Amino acid sequence: MSKIMTVDILSSIKGAQPSETVNKLFQVIKAANPTDNNSFNSSHNCVSLNNLREDIVIDSSEIEKQIIIENFPKEKNGYLVVSKVIEE
Amino acid sequence: MDSQIRSIHQQLVDKKITCTELVQSKLSNLKENSHNTVNALLDDIALKLAAKVDAKIASGETIGLLEGIPFGIKDVYMLQGTCTTASSDLLKHYKSPYTATAIQKLLDAGAIPLVKENCDSFGHGSSSENTIFGPVKNAINPELVGGGSSGGSAVNVAKDYTVFSIGGDTGGSIRQPAGYNHVYGLKPTYGRISRYGLMAYASSTDCVGPIAKSIEDILIVLNTMSGLDPKDQTTFTSETIQEDAILDTKSIKTVGYFKNFIDSEALDPKIKADFLACIEKIKAKGISVKVLDFFESDTLVSTYYTLAMAETASNLSRLDGTNYGNRIEAENLKETYAVTRSENFSEETKRRIVGGNQVLSQGFSDEIYLKGLNLRDQISQNFEKDFSEVDIILSPVTPSTPPKIGDSLKAPLAMYLSDAYTVGFSLGQLPTLTVPQGTATGLQITAAKNNDELVLKFANFLKDTI
Repeated sequence: MSKIMTVDILSSIKGAQPSETVNKLFQVIKAANPTDNNSFNSSHNCVSLNNLREDIVIDSSEIEKQIIIENFPKEKNGYLVVSKVIEE
Repeated sequence: MDSQIRSIHQQLVDKKITCTELVQSKLSNLKENSHNTVNALLDDIALKLAAKVDAKIASGETIGLLEGIPFGIKDVYMLQGTCTTASSDLLKHYKSPYTATAIQKLLDAGAIPLVKENCDSFGHGSSSENTIFGPVKNAINPELVGGGSSGGSAVNVAKDYTVFSIGGDTGGSIRQPAGYNHVYGLKPTYGRISRYGLMAYASSTDCVGPIAKSIEDILIVLNTMSGLDPKDQTTFTSETIQEDAILDTKSIKTVGYFKNFIDSEALDPKIKADFLACIEKIKAKGISVKVLDFFESDTLVSTYYTLAMAETASNLSRLDGTNYGNRIEAENLKETYAVTRSENFSEETKRRIVGGNQVLSQGFSDEIYLKGLNLRDQISQNFEKDFSEVDIILSPVTPSTPPKIGDSLKAPLAMYLSDAYTVGFSLGQLPTLTVPQGTATGLQITAAKNNDELVLKFANFLKDTI
């Protein structure tokens, strides 16, 4: 698994290249002085294990299901069509 | 200006206007407007709801404060059965299967949705030009941008096309357009309002918030939308902020401002002079003013964009045309993904996705992403220290006045840097309000986490002071 993936592959965007503008932002981060403390992201968005929502399945409403089917890009003879998956 | 919500409510109750007339007039103004604020009008839904309100009033029933009040919705919120496009080609025909929690709470209170509002695609922009619906034109000078990404929402409020609008703020997307169009715009404390049903840009800073013409209306809408939601586990239970509580401004003793924001060469001299004049007026009222140190603008902007790009690359990876969106078929699955995304995302969105994948990729993540997180922690710690010394931090909203339409798209780095004064408060997840006073693009009032009440209190104080 040492295959190098370029940003166009990672992004699924044809011909994508790193942008000079964005690289300038990254240079600022590279040059910044981090603190020694390694408590990354310690203060953000922690959810207490005592306060988790119930792990139960909630059935979608009929209208929700109908719209999800409507949004599907391709349909043929009552089936929802997806692209052929090619194994590599 | 005093509460438009209360004034319209009274007119409805006194039968001076009907809700149907009100809604029809707003819809007609929206339809005719030349500011490109509208992605879709919700005529049918709005008129049906208005008729119900009229029937209720006619039968002598009491109506709630928000019942019959017309509002706008940034086109990144789900409203079941309506198109939610994120101003993008990819989702041009996408229909919301469900309704966002914040919007549902407004509907439950009887407010009437009029319009899905133009914005930068997926929130990617500061000018509302990155959109398939044409650039949003500023409410005051249509040659200038409306600001972004919630540009359509701010312009609609400023032009009275909506009584209030619901924007989304990830790095300043409510506060900056509010400043550019001279209205109030609040980014509440992160987690106060559920993000369920808001299309995710950068989940760790995305906030739902109101744009309106008075502090009182901001308060009414904030109270209605706030609260714990099991569908967004970053939400928390919050107390309703009482109107009386925000009128008593005596508790504010100390205000701080960041020296480097004001000393910055990028700051327009007039905005700087006006800001410092406000500081003098505040001092004259007996409030102590403290000059604070903060991170340089380029560090703030780079930290914010590094993390926001990483999060948006991840959030938008689901948009591949498989289950929804404008799929473009190619020879196999991977090509279908790539062609669909290449053809349907804007240049700015692609720039951010690619940047995000760079940040998250092996070899880069330690050097940039983890360092960005570390900087974010330092920024948060800096805020904690500041708020042990001052009650409020006051800052300009933007370094300069709104650019001309067309200029921002040509200079993305300049656009990113124009967010210098808003992004830090997003990283800190702090409540911050733009007030249309003090400088050409307003002022930003920030308090410590969960102290949204103090922000509104200080806004009331400023209203009478400057």
